[in-house]
Amino acid sequence: MNKIGNSIWVKTLWQISVILAIGAGIGLISNSLRPDSLQLIGDWSAESRITATTGEHLIISLSEAEKLFTEDAAIFIDARSNEDFRNGHIAGAKSLPWQDVDRLFMKVTEDISPDMTIITYCDGKTCKLSHDLALFLLDIGFKHVRVLVNGWTVWQESDLPVERR
Amino acid sequence: MKKMSWNCHRILFLFSRLILGCVFIYACFDKILHPAEFSKAVYNYQILPDVFINLTAIVLPWLELVLGVIFIIGIWMPGAVVMSNLLLTMFTGALLFNLARGLDISCGCFSTSAMESSTNIWTVLQHGAFLALAVYLLYIIYFSRNCDALRQNT
Repeated sequence: MNKIGNSIWVKTLWQISVILAIGAGIGLISNSLRPDSLQLIGDWSAESRITATTGEHLIISLSEAEKLFTEDAAIFIDARSNEDFRNGHIAGAKSLPWQDVDRLFMKVTEDISPDMTIITYCDGKTCKLSHDLALFLLDIGFKHVRVLVNGWTVWQESDLPVERR
Repeated sequence: MKKMSWNCHRILFLFSRLILGCVFIYACFDKILHPAEFSKAVYNYQILPDVFINLTAIVLPWLELVLGVIFIIGIWMPGAVVMSNLLLTMFTGALLFNLARGLDISCGCFSTSAMESSTNIWTVLQHGAFLALAVYLLYIIYFSRNCDALRQNT
Protein backbone atom coordinates (compact mmCIF):
# COMPACT_ATOMS: atom_id res chain seq x y z
CA MET A 1 0.00 0.00 0.00
CA ASN A 2 2.82 2.33 0.98
CA LYS A 3 4.63 1.41 -2.17
CA ILE A 4 1.54 2.20 -4.26
CA GLY A 5 1.09 5.45 -2.35
CA ASN A 6 4.70 6.44 -2.99
CA SER A 7 4.56 5.50 -6.64
CA ILE A 8 1.53 7.67 -7.39
CA TRP A 9 3.19 10.71 -5.81
CA VAL A 10 6.38 10.09 -7.75
CA LYS A 11 4.28 9.72 -10.89
CA THR A 12 2.43 12.95 -10.06
CA LEU A 13 5.62 14.91 -9.57
CA TRP A 14 7.24 13.87 -12.82
CA GLN A 15 4.01 14.39 -14.73
CA ILE A 16 3.61 17.92 -13.31
CA SER A 17 7.22 18.68 -14.22
CA VAL A 18 6.73 17.45 -17.78
CA ILE A 19 3.40 19.29 -18.22
CA LEU A 20 4.95 22.53 -16.93
CA ALA A 21 8.01 22.10 -19.12
CA ILE A 22 5.93 21.46 -22.25
CA GLY A 23 3.55 24.38 -21.56
CA ALA A 24 6.35 26.81 -20.73
CA GLY A 25 8.52 25.58 -23.59
CA ILE A 26 5.85 25.94 -26.27
CA GLY A 27 4.73 29.27 -24.81
CA LEU A 28 8.21 30.78 -24.81
CA ILE A 29 9.16 29.41 -28.23
CA SER A 30 5.89 30.51 -29.89
CA ASN A 31 6.23 33.94 -28.28
CA SER A 32 9.75 34.38 -29.62
CA LEU A 33 8.60 33.39 -33.13
CA ARG A 34 5.51 35.58 -33.42
CA PRO A 35 5.78 39.11 -34.88
CA ASP A 36 3.81 40.65 -32.00
CA SER A 37 5.83 38.91 -29.30
CA LEU A 38 5.64 40.15 -25.71
CA GLN A 39 8.70 41.09 -23.72
CA LEU A 40 9.22 38.54 -20.97
CA ILE A 41 9.24 41.34 -18.42
CA GLY A 42 6.92 44.13 -19.46
CA ASP A 43 6.80 47.74 -18.40
CA TRP A 44 3.48 48.15 -16.58
CA SER A 45 4.14 51.59 -15.13
CA ALA A 46 1.34 54.15 -15.59
CA GLU A 47 3.64 56.22 -17.85
CA SER A 48 3.97 53.43 -20.36
CA ARG A 49 0.30 52.41 -20.26
CA ILE A 50 -1.30 55.82 -20.60
CA THR A 51 -0.25 57.32 -23.91
CA ALA A 52 -1.94 58.95 -26.88
CA THR A 53 -2.09 57.11 -30.22
CA THR A 54 0.96 59.20 -31.23
CA GLY A 55 2.89 57.69 -28.30
CA GLU A 56 2.82 60.97 -26.36
CA HIS A 57 2.55 60.50 -22.58
CA LEU A 58 -0.73 61.83 -21.22
CA ILE A 59 -0.19 61.57 -17.48
CA ILE A 60 -0.22 64.68 -15.36
CA SER A 61 1.17 64.67 -11.84
CA LEU A 62 -0.97 65.67 -8.90
CA SER A 63 1.19 68.74 -8.23
CA GLU A 64 0.81 69.96 -11.85
CA ALA A 65 -2.92 69.29 -11.74
CA GLU A 66 -3.21 71.17 -8.45
CA LYS A 67 -1.30 74.14 -9.92
CA LEU A 68 -3.61 74.29 -12.94
CA PHE A 69 -6.60 73.96 -10.60
CA THR A 70 -5.55 76.89 -8.40
CA GLU A 71 -4.77 79.01 -11.47
CA ASP A 72 -8.15 78.01 -12.95
CA ALA A 73 -6.22 77.02 -16.07
CA ALA A 74 -7.76 73.60 -16.68
CA ILE A 75 -11.14 71.93 -16.92
CA PHE A 76 -11.48 68.71 -14.91
CA ILE A 77 -13.72 66.03 -16.39
CA ASP A 78 -14.88 63.09 -14.30
CA ALA A 79 -15.16 59.89 -16.36
CA ARG A 80 -16.90 57.86 -13.66
CA SER A 81 -20.60 57.07 -13.46
CA ASN A 82 -23.15 59.73 -12.56
CA GLU A 83 -23.74 58.05 -9.23
CA ASP A 84 -20.03 58.16 -8.33
CA PHE A 85 -19.91 61.80 -9.46
CA ARG A 86 -22.87 62.72 -7.24
CA ASN A 87 -21.20 61.00 -4.27
CA GLY A 88 -18.20 63.27 -4.65
CA HIS A 89 -15.92 64.85 -7.24
CA ILE A 90 -13.14 67.36 -7.73
CA ALA A 91 -14.55 70.84 -7.12
CA GLY A 92 -15.82 72.38 -10.35
CA ALA A 93 -15.37 69.19 -12.38
CA LYS A 94 -17.77 68.30 -15.17
CA SER A 95 -19.29 64.84 -15.38
CA LEU A 96 -18.88 62.88 -18.60
CA PRO A 97 -19.37 59.18 -17.79
CA TRP A 98 -17.46 57.09 -20.29
CA GLN A 99 -20.43 54.76 -20.84
CA ASP A 100 -22.58 57.75 -21.96
CA VAL A 101 -19.89 59.63 -23.83
CA ASP A 102 -21.54 59.45 -27.26
CA ARG A 103 -24.79 60.86 -25.91
CA LEU A 104 -23.35 63.54 -23.62
CA PHE A 105 -20.06 64.81 -25.03
CA MET A 106 -21.61 67.61 -27.15
CA LYS A 107 -23.47 69.04 -24.19
CA VAL A 108 -20.55 68.72 -21.76
CA THR A 109 -17.86 70.10 -24.06
CA GLU A 110 -19.81 72.83 -25.92
CA ASP A 111 -18.33 75.65 -23.82
CA ILE A 112 -14.76 74.30 -23.75
CA SER A 113 -12.27 75.84 -26.17
CA PRO A 114 -10.16 73.30 -28.13
CA ASP A 115 -7.02 74.98 -26.77
CA MET A 116 -8.05 74.65 -23.15
CA THR A 117 -6.26 72.10 -20.99
CA ILE A 118 -8.56 69.26 -19.99
CA ILE A 119 -7.72 66.85 -17.18
CA THR A 120 -9.68 63.61 -17.09
CA TYR A 121 -9.81 61.38 -14.06
CA CYS A 122 -11.54 58.36 -12.60
CA ASP A 123 -10.70 56.24 -9.56
CA GLY A 124 -8.27 53.36 -9.04
CA LYS A 125 -4.75 52.85 -10.35
CA THR A 126 -5.92 50.63 -13.19
CA CYS A 127 -9.12 52.53 -14.03
CA LYS A 128 -9.20 52.91 -17.82
CA LEU A 129 -12.15 55.30 -18.07
CA SER A 130 -10.07 58.47 -17.84
CA HIS A 131 -7.58 57.17 -20.40
CA ASP A 132 -10.34 56.15 -22.83
CA LEU A 133 -12.05 59.51 -22.36
CA ALA A 134 -8.77 61.38 -22.91
CA LEU A 135 -8.19 59.52 -26.18
CA PHE A 136 -11.74 60.30 -27.26
CA LEU A 137 -11.35 64.02 -26.49
CA LEU A 138 -8.06 64.15 -28.40
CA ASP A 139 -9.76 62.39 -31.29
CA ILE A 140 -12.57 64.96 -31.50
CA GLY A 141 -10.14 67.86 -31.60
CA PHE A 142 -9.10 68.93 -28.11
CA LYS A 143 -5.38 69.61 -28.13
CA HIS A 144 -4.31 69.52 -24.50
CA VAL A 145 -5.79 66.55 -22.72
CA ARG A 146 -4.10 64.95 -19.71
CA VAL A 147 -4.95 62.10 -17.37
CA LEU A 148 -4.73 62.28 -13.59
CA VAL A 149 -4.17 58.64 -12.64
CA ASN A 150 -6.28 57.42 -9.71
CA GLY A 151 -7.50 61.02 -9.67
CA TRP A 152 -10.38 60.93 -7.22
CA THR A 153 -8.38 59.02 -4.58
CA VAL A 154 -5.18 61.09 -4.79
CA TRP A 155 -7.14 64.35 -4.84
CA GLN A 156 -8.98 63.44 -1.64
CA GLU A 157 -5.82 62.12 0.02
CA SER A 158 -4.22 65.54 -0.52
CA ASP A 159 -7.22 67.30 1.01
CA LEU A 160 -7.82 69.31 -2.16
CA PRO A 161 -11.24 70.90 -2.76
CA VAL A 162 -14.08 68.53 -3.51
CA GLU A 163 -17.83 68.87 -3.97
CA ARG A 164 -20.61 66.44 -3.15
CA ARG A 165 -24.00 66.82 -4.83
CA MET B 1 -23.77 -2.63 -5.79
CA LYS B 2 -20.01 -2.32 -5.92
CA LYS B 3 -20.10 -3.02 -9.63
CA MET B 4 -22.76 -0.38 -10.20
CA SER B 5 -20.77 2.11 -8.22
CA TRP B 6 -17.66 1.30 -10.20
CA ASN B 7 -19.51 1.75 -13.52
CA CYS B 8 -21.02 4.95 -12.29
CA HIS B 9 -17.58 6.26 -11.30
CA ARG B 10 -16.15 5.21 -14.64
CA ILE B 11 -18.76 7.22 -16.52
CA LEU B 12 -18.46 10.22 -14.20
CA PHE B 13 -14.67 10.08 -14.43
CA LEU B 14 -14.81 10.08 -18.23
CA PHE B 15 -17.44 12.82 -18.27
CA SER B 16 -15.45 15.03 -15.86
CA ARG B 17 -12.15 14.73 -17.68
CA LEU B 18 -13.72 15.36 -21.10
CA ILE B 19 -15.60 18.43 -19.82
CA LEU B 20 -12.45 19.81 -18.19
CA GLY B 21 -10.44 19.04 -21.31
CA CYS B 22 -12.89 20.98 -23.50
CA VAL B 23 -13.03 23.87 -21.01
CA PHE B 24 -9.23 24.23 -20.89
CA ILE B 25 -8.91 24.05 -24.68
CA TYR B 26 -11.75 26.52 -25.25
CA ALA B 27 -10.29 28.87 -22.61
CA CYS B 28 -6.83 29.00 -24.17
CA PHE B 29 -7.65 29.89 -27.79
CA ASP B 30 -8.32 33.62 -27.55
CA LYS B 31 -5.46 34.07 -25.10
CA ILE B 32 -3.00 32.35 -27.44
CA LEU B 33 -4.19 34.49 -30.37
CA HIS B 34 -4.06 37.78 -28.42
CA PRO B 35 -1.27 37.64 -25.81
CA ALA B 36 -1.03 41.43 -25.43
CA GLU B 37 -4.73 41.72 -24.58
CA PHE B 38 -4.46 38.76 -22.21
CA SER B 39 -1.51 40.39 -20.44
CA LYS B 40 -3.75 43.45 -19.83
CA ALA B 41 -6.42 41.16 -18.37
CA VAL B 42 -3.78 39.63 -16.06
CA TYR B 43 -2.58 43.10 -15.10
CA ASN B 44 -6.12 44.24 -14.30
CA TYR B 45 -6.41 41.59 -11.59
CA GLN B 46 -3.74 43.52 -9.64
CA ILE B 47 -2.55 40.37 -7.95
CA LEU B 48 0.74 39.47 -9.63
CA PRO B 49 3.87 41.60 -9.39
CA ASP B 50 4.54 43.42 -12.68
CA VAL B 51 7.55 41.22 -13.52
CA PHE B 52 5.36 38.10 -13.72
CA ILE B 53 2.50 39.54 -15.80
CA ASN B 54 3.91 38.99 -19.30
CA LEU B 55 5.42 35.63 -18.37
CA THR B 56 2.02 34.48 -17.12
CA ALA B 57 0.31 35.75 -20.27
CA ILE B 58 2.83 33.87 -22.42
CA VAL B 59 2.87 30.53 -20.57
CA LEU B 60 -0.57 30.10 -18.99
CA PRO B 61 -2.63 29.70 -22.21
CA TRP B 62 -0.27 27.00 -23.50
CA LEU B 63 -0.36 25.26 -20.17
CA GLU B 64 -4.15 25.24 -20.45
CA LEU B 65 -3.89 23.78 -23.94
CA VAL B 66 -1.51 21.03 -22.80
CA LEU B 67 -3.80 20.21 -19.85
CA GLY B 68 -6.86 20.19 -22.11
CA VAL B 69 -5.24 17.78 -24.57
CA ILE B 70 -4.04 15.53 -21.73
CA PHE B 71 -7.53 15.39 -20.23
CA ILE B 72 -9.07 14.46 -23.56
CA ILE B 73 -6.46 11.82 -24.39
CA GLY B 74 -6.60 10.52 -20.81
CA ILE B 75 -2.88 10.16 -20.09
CA TRP B 76 -0.81 11.51 -17.15
CA MET B 77 -3.97 12.00 -15.13
CA PRO B 78 -2.43 12.24 -11.62
CA GLY B 79 -0.22 15.16 -12.64
CA ALA B 80 -2.89 16.83 -14.79
CA VAL B 81 -5.50 16.53 -12.06
CA VAL B 82 -3.26 18.07 -9.40
CA MET B 83 -2.31 20.90 -11.77
CA SER B 84 -5.90 21.57 -12.79
CA ASN B 85 -6.95 21.69 -9.13
CA LEU B 86 -4.18 24.18 -8.38
CA LEU B 87 -5.02 26.34 -11.40
CA LEU B 88 -8.78 26.32 -10.85
CA THR B 89 -8.33 27.09 -7.14
CA MET B 90 -6.11 30.05 -8.04
CA PHE B 91 -8.56 31.29 -10.71
CA THR B 92 -11.56 31.00 -8.39
CA GLY B 93 -9.64 32.61 -5.53
CA ALA B 94 -8.56 35.52 -7.75
CA LEU B 95 -12.13 36.07 -8.94
CA LEU B 96 -13.48 35.98 -5.38
CA PHE B 97 -10.72 38.28 -4.12
CA ASN B 98 -11.47 40.92 -6.75
CA LEU B 99 -15.19 40.57 -6.31
CA ALA B 100 -14.77 41.09 -2.56
CA ARG B 101 -12.71 44.25 -3.02
CA GLY B 102 -15.16 45.57 -5.63
CA LEU B 103 -12.80 45.67 -8.59
CA ASP B 104 -14.87 45.99 -11.76
CA ILE B 105 -12.82 44.06 -14.32
CA SER B 106 -13.59 41.63 -17.10
CA CYS B 107 -12.81 38.02 -16.26
CA GLY B 108 -10.40 37.31 -19.12
CA CYS B 109 -11.29 33.65 -18.61
CA PHE B 110 -12.54 32.69 -22.06
CA SER B 111 -12.05 35.90 -24.00
CA THR B 112 -9.50 38.71 -23.94
CA SER B 113 -12.03 41.23 -25.24
CA ALA B 114 -12.60 44.27 -23.04
CA MET B 115 -16.27 43.96 -24.02
CA GLU B 116 -16.52 40.69 -22.05
CA SER B 117 -18.90 41.17 -19.14
CA SER B 118 -17.44 42.02 -15.75
CA THR B 119 -16.66 39.40 -13.15
CA ASN B 120 -19.75 38.59 -11.12
CA ILE B 121 -21.02 35.86 -8.84
CA TRP B 122 -21.97 33.70 -11.87
CA THR B 123 -18.38 33.75 -13.08
CA VAL B 124 -17.30 32.53 -9.65
CA LEU B 125 -19.98 29.83 -9.58
CA GLN B 126 -18.97 28.69 -13.07
CA HIS B 127 -15.37 28.30 -11.89
CA GLY B 128 -16.61 26.61 -8.73
CA ALA B 129 -18.38 24.03 -10.90
CA PHE B 130 -15.18 23.35 -12.89
CA LEU B 131 -13.27 23.09 -9.63
CA ALA B 132 -15.83 20.58 -8.33
CA LEU B 133 -15.15 18.36 -11.38
CA ALA B 134 -11.40 18.65 -10.80
CA VAL B 135 -11.81 17.80 -7.10
CA TYR B 136 -13.88 14.76 -8.06
CA LEU B 137 -11.07 13.54 -10.34
CA LEU B 138 -8.60 14.16 -7.52
CA TYR B 139 -10.75 12.07 -5.16
CA ILE B 140 -10.97 9.19 -7.61
CA ILE B 141 -7.26 9.14 -8.35
CA TYR B 142 -5.90 9.63 -4.87
CA PHE B 143 -8.49 8.67 -2.31
CA SER B 144 -11.04 6.19 -3.67
CA ARG B 145 -10.13 2.63 -2.67
CA ASN B 146 -12.64 1.10 -5.10
CA CYS B 147 -11.20 2.60 -8.24
CA ASP B 148 -7.84 0.91 -8.56
CA ALA B 149 -8.56 -0.01 -12.16
CA LEU B 150 -9.21 3.59 -13.09
CA ARG B 151 -6.03 4.62 -11.34
CA GLN B 152 -4.01 1.97 -13.12
CA ASN B 153 -5.17 3.31 -16.49
CA THR B 154 -3.86 6.78 -15.78
